[in-house]
Order: sequence, then structure tokens, then C-alpha cells
Amino acid sequence: MTQEAETLFASGPFAFDGVERGGMKRRIELGLIFSRSGSYTLIAEACRSGALSAIAMVNADPALDVSFVPVERDPGGNVDLYAPLCEEILRDTGARHVLGCVTSWSRKEVIPVLEKHGGTLWYTVPYEGFEASDHVVYTHACPNQHLLPLLDWVIPAHGKRAYLTGSNYIWGWEMNRLAREVVVQAGGEVTGERYLPIGSRDVARMIEEIRHSRPDFVLNSLIGPSSYEFLAAYRRLGAEDAHFRADRCPVLSCNLTECELPALGEAAEGLVAAGPYFRGAAGWPGGRFGSSHEAATFAAVRELARLLHGRAEAGITDLLAGAVSVVDPKTHHTELPVLIAQVRGGAFRVIREQAAVAGDPYLTRGRVAAVPNLRVVS
Amino acid sequence: MKHPIRIQNLGGATAMILHRPHPTVQALTRQLQAIGLRVVQAWPELGPEALGADFVFFDADMGHDEQFPWDAGQSPMPMVALIGSEAPGRIEWALRAGAHAQLLKPVGDNGAYSALLIARDAFDAQRALSVEIADLRRRLDERLTVVRAVAALAARGKTEDEAYAQLRQMAMAWRVSFEDAAARVVAGMAGGEDDRRNRG
Repeated sequence: MTQEAETLFASGPFAFDGVERGGMKRRIELGLIFSRSGSYTLIAEACRSGALSAIAMVNADPALDVSFVPVERDPGGNVDLYAPLCEEILRDTGARHVLGCVTSWSRKEVIPVLEKHGGTLWYTVPYEGFEASDHVVYTHACPNQHLLPLLDWVIPAHGKRAYLTGSNYIWGWEMNRLAREVVVQAGGEVTGERYLPIGSRDVARMIEEIRHSRPDFVLNSLIGPSSYEFLAAYRRLGAEDAHFRADRCPVLSCNLTECELPALGEAAEGLVAAGPYFRGAAGWPGGRFGSSHEAATFAAVRELARLLHGRAEAGITDLLAGAVSVVDPKTHHTELPVLIAQVRGGAFRVIREQAAVAGDPYLTRGRVAAVPNLRVVS
Repeated sequence: MKHPIRIQNLGGATAMILHRPHPTVQALTRQLQAIGLRVVQAWPELGPEALGADFVFFDADMGHDEQFPWDAGQSPMPMVALIGSEAPGRIEWALRAGAHAQLLKPVGDNGAYSALLIARDAFDAQRALSVEIADLRRRLDERLTVVRAVAALAARGKTEDEAYAQLRQMAMAWRVSFEDAAARVVAGMAGGEDDRRNRG
């Protein structure tokens, strides 16, 4: 969008957009920074598709006085491109809000840029917690909304001997640190812990360690091709030795959703994941989505439109002042349902559902463990 | 890592910020509340309620010793210096005041969490070392008593090694330190067996 158009349509009660149903809509540019190639592209595409469908819905909604114009940049999975591309959006366009980033690494890269330009990032994928930036809104789950409920489920059901895997960066390290703490506190044991560089398919050593240490469950915090290779190899291990089948020693994940099932095929069978939404689950505002990545990104755009309605564009802190929002003004995290689901017959089936839980990024707000499941579906 | 980080008990902890009203205080307050702490701001000095705080953040730029209800370096909780001017004199003062960690001003939207954990770890380590040093110092001071006790036991017809072993057994039987056992033996020599028993 040009600078002139920005000035013409951006503000005032009479700002008019003749395109969208003749409504009195201000056009607001909205940054999207998703990698459309690289090792986590399936997740990025799911998020992007949630963003675009929400933008279409907002633009068609006569009850909202804003319409969004997406401004897209594609870092192509290169972590060093996130900060410059985010800066380009905030400096060269009217966008003050940006959706995007998948890895925590890329999110950390853009935060200084957001601070410099007064921008806000809507981060819509699960992460490892321990952050509450003034310039970020976290609309997917953090550990008290994914890992801890998942461990609450698995330990009584399968046992307390865990094998921990992860990709070699902050997500895997922190997830496994926390899992180790919980398992050891429960009187359990970590039978092994191993990491792979992002993109590596070298899973043989992990599989051998699992074969010999015979844990009760495996926590998989690998991402992308490493994860796909690992799950396929683990499936073969289960075919050789019944101990390693999902009913005895399941693989758990806090970031695997439907968007990656096509890359996994049969290998995903039996995998157990935690997340705020699984395809077909009821209760998520805005309808039905392909995955929680899509749902959380959709919800982010919708909430931003709601907060902007009738108000001048501003950063998230100002938008939250005096507003009622699903975003907690203290932590910028959101309250989310907690679902645990298992892949059965190529789709996630919810096996446990808990009441919505507020995001507690520093795990300091206390927690009622395991008990409050509303219903057990099995 | 020598021990896991204690995260859970940060929730509900109290942090006092000793700083004049300033955007830095607001930014720090926001960070600490997001982490789950209760925040109390104080200026120009910490009142007696500071003794109940779990953490103290203090201004290193305009600070002075009289602001604290304890002697310099003797805070009963971890302290974090808020440093604006990196002049050596100010840093020296902040260190003498007992900073266990620091946070540079202007405070933005990160840094508080790592400052809390580092300050607490440094505080715990310092306290553990102080206890250990005090104990070692006391034992050092008791060296002469140990020599006297061993000599006294040896005087009853034992070798020095046997006397030393006997003293160790006495300490174990009385469930006291080696040095305390030596003190009892020496006192017993001076005051007789009854006195020694009464002290047990």
C-alpha cells in the first residue's frame, strides 16, 4: 500500500473503504513474517493460512471498523533474515502489528526491532515459556498449557521413566529441562537425553539408546525432518518389539499438530500431543480449523481487529489498557483450553480435555496438577 | 549445573525497588509482576518492612549506605543494583552495598528474570560460604585446645595416635564436633569428671 493510501484511509470516523461491502472501514496494514520454505514450513504455512482466513473474515465483517491489508515477508527459514525483514515492515510500511515467527530463536531476533519501532509481534505457536515481552502477544500454549498437563497424563498412565529428545536449540533444551525436573520430582528417572542439529536425520543413536534403556515414554521435542525421521524409526522399533508400541511406551509431543501429519503418514500413529485445539474440537472461537497453529493465528488476528475496533492504532500495551481481552495485560499470554489427543487412524482423537488454563510463562502462579479434567474421552 | 534452578517459589515473592519514581521503576515493575512477584517501591530509603522482602533492587546512581536498614554488604536477601552510570566509583559502591547481580538502566522489557535467578544464586552461595568460613575459623581457633586434649589423653599411657583416635570416638559418642570434644576433655582435666558429665 502506498503512503498516500495509508494517509487517506487510515484514520478518522469517516475513513472509507469502498472495496469491502461499503462498510466504514479503516485500512490497516498488518505484517506477516512466515517462512514459506525451510525446515518448519508446514507449521509456518498453517499459521499463514489461519492469518489469511481471519483477515478475510475481518474484512468482510461490517461490525468491525477495520480491514487488514497483509504486508508479507518470507525469511525462507533463514534465522538471520527475520530481524531485517521485520524492520523493513515496521520502517517502510504502516504496519505496527506483525504476525509470525515459528522458532523461539527467530522471535528473540525480532524483539529488539519491535522495541526500536514500537511494534508488536503476535506469536502464534507453542513455545518454552520464560518470556513476557511488552512487545509480544503469545496466543499459543506455554509449558503450563502443554508439557505439564501432558506429563500429568502420561506418568500415571504409563510410568515415570522418560527418554528425552530434542532439536539442538532452546525449545528442546528447555522442554527437556522442565520434563526432567517434573519426572525426578515424581520419583521417576530419565533414561537418556539426546539432541540433533536442526535438519539432521541422524536418529539411529537415539533409537538404540531407547531400545536399550526401555523407558515408559519418549518426549519428542525434535522439529521438522528430524522429528519425521525419528517417528518413522520409532515406528519400526515398535514393529520389532511390542514394548515400543504406543499403548506401552508412547511418544509425546507439545508442538506436533495436524499440519505435519501429511509428512508423517503411518509413522504418526499412536503419537500423543498436547495443544489448545485439535481438528474438529468444539469450543474454539471462529469455527473449525486444520490445526491449533491455524486456530491460534486466526484467533490472534480476530482479537487484534476487536481491540482496534473504534480505536486508534497503537501497540499492544496501549490497546490492552482499559480493554477486556483474552490477552492477560500482565504477561501478554492467553487463557487456552488444554487438550491431549492421540493420532488414531490418521487423525488426532482427543483423549483428555481440561478446563482452560491461563498462560503462566514463568511457572510461578501455582497449579492444580492433573485433577481438573472435565471429562475423559477414550 | 550444580543444582536445579528453583523457579516455583518466585511466585508470590516480594521485591522492593529502592528508586525514585521513574519509567525504569514502571518497566521493572511490569517485568516483576509478569514473573509473578509482588512489587513495593520505596524512596528515599527502605523502611523496616524491607526486612521481609525476598529481593531488593536498588538505585546505584543516587544510592548511599544510609538508605538500607542493615550494614553495607549484610542484606538478609539478594540485592540487584540498578546501574545507570557505569562510573567506577558507583560500581564500587554498589558492590560494597552488596549487589549480587545488576540490571542496566534504562530497564526495558527483559533482564529482570535472569537478574533474580543470578542474584539468588550468588546470595545463597555467599551465605553458604560464610557459614563454612565461620566454622573453619572456629575450628582453627580451637587447634590449641585439640593439642591440649590429645596431650592429656596421651598422658594416661596412650600413644599420640591412640589418643587422637580416642578423642574422635568421644566426639562421636557425645555427638559433638571434634573441637567441642577436645574442649570437654580439657575442661574435664581442669574441673574433674563430674563437671565433664554435666556439660554433656
